[in-house]
Amino acid sequence: MLSLFTKQKPATEHSKADPAIELRNLSLRFEGHRALEDLSLTVDSGLRVAVVGPNGAGKSTLFNILAGILAPSGGEVRVHGHLPAQHQCLAYVPQNSQVDWNFPVNVEEVVMMGRVRLIGLFRHPSRKDWELVRESLGKVQLEGLAGRQISELSGGQKQRMFIARALAQAADLVLLDEPLAGLDIPSQEQILNILDDLQKLGITVLFATHDLDLAAAQFDRILLLNRRLIAYGVRDEVLSAQNLTKAYGGTMQVVETTEGRIVLGDSGGHHGHEPEGRHG
Amino acid sequence: MVTAAGITAMNPKVAMVDWLLEPLAFEFMQRGLLIAVIVGVICALVGVYIVLRGMAFLGDALAHAILPGLAVGYLVSAGDRSAIFWWALGTAVLTSVGIGALSRAGRIKQDTAIGIVFAGMFALGIALISSVRNYAVDLSHFLFGNILGVTQNDLWLTAGVGLAVLFIVFVFYKEFLVLSFDPTLVTTLRLPARTLEVLLSILMAVAIVVSLQTVGVALVVALLVTPAAAASLLTKNLRNMMFLASVIAAGSGVVGLYASYYLSIASGAAVVLTCTAVFVLVWIWRQLGIRRRQVGSS
Repeated sequence: MLSLFTKQKPATEHSKADPAIELRNLSLRFEGHRALEDLSLTVDSGLRVAVVGPNGAGKSTLFNILAGILAPSGGEVRVHGHLPAQHQCLAYVPQNSQVDWNFPVNVEEVVMMGRVRLIGLFRHPSRKDWELVRESLGKVQLEGLAGRQISELSGGQKQRMFIARALAQAADLVLLDEPLAGLDIPSQEQILNILDDLQKLGITVLFATHDLDLAAAQFDRILLLNRRLIAYGVRDEVLSAQNLTKAYGGTMQVVETTEGRIVLGDSGGHHGHEPEGRHG
Repeated sequence: MVTAAGITAMNPKVAMVDWLLEPLAFEFMQRGLLIAVIVGVICALVGVYIVLRGMAFLGDALAHAILPGLAVGYLVSAGDRSAIFWWALGTAVLTSVGIGALSRAGRIKQDTAIGIVFAGMFALGIALISSVRNYAVDLSHFLFGNILGVTQNDLWLTAGVGLAVLFIVFVFYKEFLVLSFDPTLVTTLRLPARTLEVLLSILMAVAIVVSLQTVGVALVVALLVTPAAAASLLTKNLRNMMFLASVIAAGSGVVGLYASYYLSIASGAAVVLTCTAVFVLVWIWRQLGIRRRQVGSS
């Protein structure tokens, strides 16, 4: 358990007291249209944040910028006080990972990939690295499948494998893009339980989802996005009728009843990849 | 009775051994077989990455694009093998870097960039060759391979290069694995993606250049792709895949050369046809296996 804390320090050091994410006037133009506009935001370390918004709101784009895959066209990004590309303490599990599931690797080999940078060039994994990998697999209840070829995993097991890889990487910030999409209820619950464990380890989690109920029930903060930042904060501040109408426009109805607020007609669903920034 | 039976049983064995040993009496066959094995292992190892990353077209393009390098190397060195080797290697590395730069600059997709560079370079090579007709015969050996022309020097050079490739694949095993499996992870781990890509294309260039004498420019892609593809059907473990691909490629080199010797067919074609036959057999065997499992489970 403890060995995950005594990780080797990445090239860039940071204190956990620093905000995990700071954005200042962040924007991204993507072949003429605006995928993200003027985003300013501070996310404190150790929080569990749901990122919600309609399709094309820029959730994946934001993740790609944080991960250092896309460069913003304007504004500033800081991850634990540094530029995204200066960090290796960030793990990203994209939606529909572009991974070839027939690739000749097994579960523990994929998890070990998270340690490649920490092991360093010209070295091979030590026994300690393998112990860490096994420990990470234990935290996501995959120890029994360590030697399993990855094509034989279920959807939930695949997601858990990637979370184990983030643990092996000793990531402080984990970006999960729609990790529950297409999973059955028990698998969803299993992943939500793992999120509790990540939080106990002090790991900040950004979790993109279409499910507003889930966001309201399970997360410390909600980030409501539709190319611009609509709102960021605790559930009651963010999920107001006004904010939701701003984010979802005509595609969503917010009905206040005596029993609470009911949200109807989420455009969400899992339509896959529409070009970013079309909506609005 | 016993003795007679023993003798009749021995005869085919003796004939077989003779059949196997006869070509070995020739020094060029000894060298040819050795180089075929070394080249097979190099191509198989590099080919595993090519197959896993879906870069077969780039491999074929690189092989064709080194033609002008071969031509220039031949002309300036009056046929010195190791000079030609370095010219070809330089051209291959430049070509792969050029393709990378062209497709990274945006607006042009990678396979288009490959097509442009590959055809342009190949045409340049043909233009150079056609301007000096006398050399065309020797250069045709580079197109289709000429195992008879392997010198002792070639053998040392190829063995040295082979060891270097083995060493690099061993040292960068985990980095190449991440690069091939998950480009997103390469970015978030802040691995030197560009450097690794260039290193891998240099390995590819090296594999192609050392294969010139065994199979030639036109067929080298088969040596890169076919053994690795056959191995990928047989195992779901990367190390095993590398090992099996090497065995298939080296074995096909040996079998191909024997076929070339006894059937008097071009060595490069014989080696590639052997590889292809192995692949087809493995593929059929796997298909039958899948069908049997489907029938069994339904």
